[in-house]
Amino acid sequence: MGNTNTYTEHQLVSLLKSRDDKAFGYLYDNYSGSLYTIISQIVTDLELANDVLQEVFINIWRKIESYDPGKGRLFTWMLNIARNASIDTLRSKSYQNSQKNQMMPEHEDWNAGGRIEGLNIDHIGFRKILERLKKEHRVLIEIAYFKGYTHEEISEIENIPLGTVKTRIRNALMQLREYLK
Amino acid sequence: MNTKEYISSGIIESYVLGLADPAEREEFERTCVSYPEIREARETFEISLEQYAMLNQVQPSRNLKSRIFAAIDMEKDQENIGSVQSLVAQMPSKNKTGVVAMSGWQRYFAAAAVILLLISTGLNFYFFDKYKSFNNLYDQLLASQTELASHNQVLQTKLLDYEKAVGYMKDPNMVIIRMPANPKGPDANSLTTVYWDTVTRNVYLSVNVLPPPSENQQYQLWALVDGKPVDAGVFDIKEGPGLVKMKNIPRAQAFAITLEKKGGSVTPTMEKLYVLGKV
Repeated sequence: MGNTNTYTEHQLVSLLKSRDDKAFGYLYDNYSGSLYTIISQIVTDLELANDVLQEVFINIWRKIESYDPGKGRLFTWMLNIARNASIDTLRSKSYQNSQKNQMMPEHEDWNAGGRIEGLNIDHIGFRKILERLKKEHRVLIEIAYFKGYTHEEISEIENIPLGTVKTRIRNALMQLREYLK
Repeated sequence: MNTKEYISSGIIESYVLGLADPAEREEFERTCVSYPEIREARETFEISLEQYAMLNQVQPSRNLKSRIFAAIDMEKDQENIGSVQSLVAQMPSKNKTGVVAMSGWQRYFAAAAVILLLISTGLNFYFFDKYKSFNNLYDQLLASQTELASHNQVLQTKLLDYEKAVGYMKDPNMVIIRMPANPKGPDANSLTTVYWDTVTRNVYLSVNVLPPPSENQQYQLWALVDGKPVDAGVFDIKEGPGLVKMKNIPRAQAFAITLEKKGGSVTPTMEKLYVLGKV
């Protein structure tokens, strides 16, 4: 890490809001790895994941003014920016076209996880704890969290009532919380 | 409100992970304001999530940080241009207040300044793009250059070995002793050569063919002096043509090689006699 000093979350946020370069460098050194990990689990193309991470940090820099600590921690805010950017990329036309020639099976692959150039990402990050969930729970988290489908879409695709989708996702999330402890 | 039930309903997790719908989000944010214990439970989950994410990382590519900071610097430039543009836009309105009208050349000057700025921004994008691709190219070149350099070093060492070997072979004082395989020995293909300097009495060995020894064994060269074996040193089989310098032998009628335990033996193991050559 390039920076030797550390900040409290409160200090860091106010420095970031005043556009402090050093604080931003610190932010990058500390969080680029974990954000990159989540991105690469959604956008499984390694090169592309780097581009998404760049976009995410520029967005953080642009939007830091609107970050509200009352609604959640800084990391949570950044994590959601990263996930949203990744899912946008996943759904973009150019990405879909580039994936067409490769594999895009409809159903079976949803719970197969992803791979990046020989590195099996099933065993890092959140996917590692996903493996411990029951299959029906795992599939739902996979398509809701990593593929970004809405509850309504999942209900239609999986042919389960909307209420059941919600309950199952919440149950799965409660399980995840236990594993995170 | 039963906060315990609410906390264990999964809403916290779906809110934090961005899976809650807008109505749920709004409700949750309101609830957090009125119930500190819910807010606390949210923070606990956020912290465990963050800690987990910190422990399970894959690093992005190394030059990404500089790329991002270059892009942010460009953003800053644009912000500055934006403020200059709005300043220029305000100028005519000052006119109407009747203080001082902007004269013709001033207006042209302002317009020219804006145009120049826009051109320079455009060039910034263009050059940054160029810079990025050159940077990539440079990285690639650097990698292949390093590879070539190390390859070159290997070749140089080999060449030096060859030169030295040829030097010995050309020396008119050198006696060359061919040591073919011992017909009763373990390996019929074995072949080595001894170069023996008749002036200095230095002995150099070249291994043509010998099976690779096991890890705890080593080959040992013997000089036969009046029917008695004299140790001329142990050696490892090197790659390439390099001559191995052995012990100095003042007088001998023949040379032989046996396979011995690592470090060599005092007397040769005759069953493991691989090659033999008379002077």
